[in-house]
Amino acid sequence: MKTLTAINKLGKNMVDNLEKFQHIGKRTHSLQYIFKRRTGELISKIFLYIVIIALSFVFLYPLLFLLAQSLMLPSDVSDSTVQWIPKQFDLTNYKLSWTALGGDPGRTYWNALQSSLYMSIGGALLQVFSCSLAGYALGRYRFPGYTIVMGLVLFSFLVPPQTLMVPLFQLFSGFGWINTFLPFVVPSAMGHGLKGALFVLIFIQFFHRLPSVLEEAARIDGASAFRTFWQIMLPLARPAMLVVFLFSVVWHWNDVFYSNLYLRLPKFYNLSQALGIFNGVGAAQFQAATVGLSNTQTIGAAPTILNQIMAASLLTILPMLIMYLFTQRYFVESVERTGIAGE
Amino acid sequence: MKKRLRRSLWLRNMVEAYSFLLLWLIGFAMFMAVPLGKSFYYSFNKMMITKNGLVPDWTGLANFRRAFSTDVAFLPLLKNSVMSLLIQVPLILVFAMMAALLLNRNIIGRTFFRGVFFLPVIIASGAVLVEMLRLGAERMPLFTSSSLFLALMDIIPPDILEPLLVLADQLTLVMWDSGVQILIFLAGLQTISPSLYEAANMDGATKWESFWKITFPMITPMILVNTVFSIVNSFTSARNQMMTYIRTVVFQQNDYGYGAAIGWIYFVLAFVMIGLVFLIFRKSLTNTDGRR
Repeated sequence: MKTLTAINKLGKNMVDNLEKFQHIGKRTHSLQYIFKRRTGELISKIFLYIVIIALSFVFLYPLLFLLAQSLMLPSDVSDSTVQWIPKQFDLTNYKLSWTALGGDPGRTYWNALQSSLYMSIGGALLQVFSCSLAGYALGRYRFPGYTIVMGLVLFSFLVPPQTLMVPLFQLFSGFGWINTFLPFVVPSAMGHGLKGALFVLIFIQFFHRLPSVLEEAARIDGASAFRTFWQIMLPLARPAMLVVFLFSVVWHWNDVFYSNLYLRLPKFYNLSQALGIFNGVGAAQFQAATVGLSNTQTIGAAPTILNQIMAASLLTILPMLIMYLFTQRYFVESVERTGIAGE
Repeated sequence: MKKRLRRSLWLRNMVEAYSFLLLWLIGFAMFMAVPLGKSFYYSFNKMMITKNGLVPDWTGLANFRRAFSTDVAFLPLLKNSVMSLLIQVPLILVFAMMAALLLNRNIIGRTFFRGVFFLPVIIASGAVLVEMLRLGAERMPLFTSSSLFLALMDIIPPDILEPLLVLADQLTLVMWDSGVQILIFLAGLQTISPSLYEAANMDGATKWESFWKITFPMITPMILVNTVFSIVNSFTSARNQMMTYIRTVVFQQNDYGYGAAIGWIYFVLAFVMIGLVFLIFRKSLTNTDGRR
């Protein structure tokens, strides 16, 4: 009985104290306080979205620019009320640039597109394979000469292509490979080619982080080194393969240096190159039209050949855009998962 | 017995590693080592074009002397490319870092925004970028649209305004150039464990403090990676004038020896710059504790 009252008293005390504490709490967690904090958060959130949307505009701008300019006709260009949206929807620019993008009479967009596709997809597939081999060796094995080979990979990452231009051209023309795809494909097959060393580094980084348990299990079960690689490790490396493939395709596609070096006749030109000689015509006209105007005045004064070039530019990157539309997720996610940024 | 086993394991390990590497090493010899040596040799020669192909004629350092004394185009180009690197790389780093911090926040449509920020890597590079620059695509209408521009004209004298506009143009180019760097920073940010921020918050650190005490030290390796990547990326950029110049020298003036020489000067300069970058970052690289 005594204890019961004691407990009751204690409970009452606690309730009293609770109210007292709540009173203190009201000072720090009062509605006013919460409201103030929430508005602060809200304002910073709104600010964040404004910044991010403004920045997104900067990044979407090239695409919008291409699209708007490519649809404009001479009447729209001279019309000062037309800033972004042309008066009528007309595909003349596209029709004209379709044939001009062949780079050579008798060729159209299709031929140059095929040229680009062979080069970039072929190069990318071979690079995925060959760079994964080298990356696996450097990511999983420790062997005498490891530091030297690793140094060689880093070194070949740093050498500018300009330095190697003359001897490489000589080498390939000695083989009779100029104006074919072999100068792109053969170095790629050996883990070099366009940014090959970077892809090797990506694979090294990725294989380095994989746990060794699976590999050991395969080896104990009697799989050979190559079979372990092919059946166990390579399937695990899918994210790295994907990121290498995607980057390789895009970089091959946009590259003008190597293509201009090895594909020298207009009838073998790929899309980027065909666009490049298209601009030769446009540049002369542009100069003629804008002579004597200051930098800021030339905006909007462009003649229509430039609108055709914009249409051609859009056609050039259209395949990449379509690819990006479907693989955008992988570009972004796979960079995170491959651990390119690791150490 | 045991020793022999260990020895054979060691041998097997080595054979396996080198068999994986074989293809790459052959490629390295063919497409990197031999051409590099050749171009080094050419740079000391005048390459004569004869019926038997190119015949080297030893001239010693004449090509290098020509690059630094008689060639009027080379030095300004070299200076230009170094200057634009020195301006652009820090801008790219700062912008990419900011963008990565923004995109790392928990916002609606994060995937979409990431996709958008990476878009210029797909479209605004190579030949297409060159075309767009010709049309003045890097000048955002914000800066050049008549009213704002005229208003600014009234306040700021044109002598000051013009360079500012050029800087603004540079800024859009910098933003378009930083897609890959943003991704690398993002990936780096995600390796930082949230518990570090929680601990800092408990101890009363502000967001600003926890950025400088946690985020920045944790992300220094990515700053190094991004710096090197930006420098290397600029070699093959379609806007690199050095590349076009060397190509003109080689294929239009047919001066192979001189082309090789300026190629080497460019390479040495780039190598020194990257070496400096490594030197600067040497100390901060050792600390990688607390990763997820």
